[in-house]
Amino acid sequence: MRLHTYAIIDSSDQVDEPIYGLEGARVYNVPYCDMGAIVSELGAGSIQDIAEQGILAHEDVTEKLMERFTVLPVRFNTIYDGTEGVLAMMQSYYRDFRDNLDRLSNKVEFGIKVIWPSDRIRESIVNARKKSDKKTTVPTDSPNRKFMRDKFEQYRLSEELENRADKFINIMDMFFSKFAAEKKLKKLRTEDLLLDAVYLVEKDKQGDFKEAFEHIKSAHAGFKFLFSGPWPPYNFVDLTKNTDSLEDSPQRDLFDILIQDRELVGTDKI
Amino acid sequence: MTISGVVETDFPEEFVGQMQKSNDVLPKRIDANPQNVDRGLAKLVLTLIDLIRKLLEKQAMRRVEAGSLSEEEIERLGETLMKLENRMEELKQIFGLEDEDLNLNLGPLGDLM
Amino acid sequence: MHNIAVKSKDVTLLEILDRVLDKGVVISGDAVISVADVDLIYLGLKVLLSSVETMERLRGAPITGPMQEAT
Repeated sequence: MRLHTYAIIDSSDQVDEPIYGLEGARVYNVPYCDMGAIVSELGAGSIQDIAEQGILAHEDVTEKLMERFTVLPVRFNTIYDGTEGVLAMMQSYYRDFRDNLDRLSNKVEFGIKVIWPSDRIRESIVNARKKSDKKTTVPTDSPNRKFMRDKFEQYRLSEELENRADKFINIMDMFFSKFAAEKKLKKLRTEDLLLDAVYLVEKDKQGDFKEAFEHIKSAHAGFKFLFSGPWPPYNFVDLTKNTDSLEDSPQRDLFDILIQDRELVGTDKI
Repeated sequence: MTISGVVETDFPEEFVGQMQKSNDVLPKRIDANPQNVDRGLAKLVLTLIDLIRKLLEKQAMRRVEAGSLSEEEIERLGETLMKLENRMEELKQIFGLEDEDLNLNLGPLGDLM
Repeated sequence: MHNIAVKSKDVTLLEILDRVLDKGVVISGDAVISVADVDLIYLGLKVLLSSVETMERLRGAPITGPMQEAT
C-alpha cells in the first residue's frame, strides 16, 4: 500500500471534513503521539502519470489543512510503503517535527518579489558620476592602463548599484519585518530581481502585513511587485538541527554538486 | 478543486521571466548521457575558472580603490587580467558556451562575489 | 487578454512548484519510495509546459474519481 504524504500536523485526531488529494483519494491522519502525518493511498500508476494533477492536488490539501492545523508541508512525491513506514519516519523525526510545529504554530508564509528599474538606476549613477568626476580618459593611457580604468569604472558602478539595492531592500524589509516572526531574503538574484523574500507571519497579523506591503508598493513607482500567500510555511521548516546529512538539506547548490556527484569528479575527460 | 494560495501581481510575464532566469542553469545532477557529459563538465569547469577569474578581478579593483598599487603594478595587472579575459572568451567559444551558460547558482560562494 | 491570463497561471504555478518540489519537509531514507531529484526536475518542466492545459482542465471542476484503476 503506497501512501503519498502531504504534511505533518500538530494533531493526532482524524480529519473530520473530507479532503481529497491525489487520484481523488480521501486523505487521513496517521497519528503518532501528539502529531500525525496526513496521507492518502495511491493506486498503481506511475509517478509521471499523476504529476500534473498531483502537484496541484498536493498543494490544495496542504492549504486546506492550514486553515485548521499547524502544518509542516512535505515535499511532493514523498511516498511510504504502508503505515509502518510512516510511523517509523515520524519516530525518527519526532524531535524535529515537534520543534518545528511549536515554532511555526499559528503562522503562515508570504512571498514578496520586487523587480526594480535597474536600467534607470544604473543611468542615474552614471550621470551623477559624470557630473562629479573631473578626470576623464587620459589619452596617454596604455592599453593595459585603459583596461584597468574601464574595469574600475565598471566595478564602482556595480558597487554603487549594490549599495542602492541594499538601501531599497532595507527600507522595504523594515516595513515588512514589523509583522513577521521570521524572514528569508535573497537580494539581486538577477540584475532586475531586486528582492525575493519570504516572511513568516502570525495568522492574526496577516492584515497588517498586507497593509505594509500595499504601503511600500505605493511608495515605489517604477518598481514591480509580486505578493503571494498565505502559504503553509514551506520555507521555514528547519530539519537541520537534529540531522546533519547533506542529503536531507532541501537546497542543493554548487557545494553539493562538487561533493556528491562523484561521477563528475572521478572522470579524466576534462 | 481550486487553488486558494493567492498570487497577486500586475506583471505576471515579467516575474515568470525573472524566476526562470534565476533558476539554476546548471542542473542539479549532470546529465549522464555520454554525449552530453562533456558539455556538462565543460560548463562546470569553465564556470569555476570564470569564478576565480572574477574574484581576482574584484580583488584587484579593491586594491586600486585603496590606492595601494604602484603604477607598474597597475600596468602589469591590466595586462594579466586582459589576457585572462581573452583566454576565457576563447574557451567559451571552443565549447560553444554563452555568458548565460556559466551563470551558476553559487550558493554560499555567492557571497564572495 | 488571453496572453496575460495565461501568464498569471504560469506565475502561480511557478510559485507552487518552487515550494512543493524543493521545500518543506524533505526526507530521503530507506523507507521512502520517492522520486530522485532528476525526476523532480523533469516533473517540474513537464508540469510547467502543460500548465495552461492543466489549469483549464481544473478550472472549477473538482476531482470526483480516481485517476487510475486501484489494484
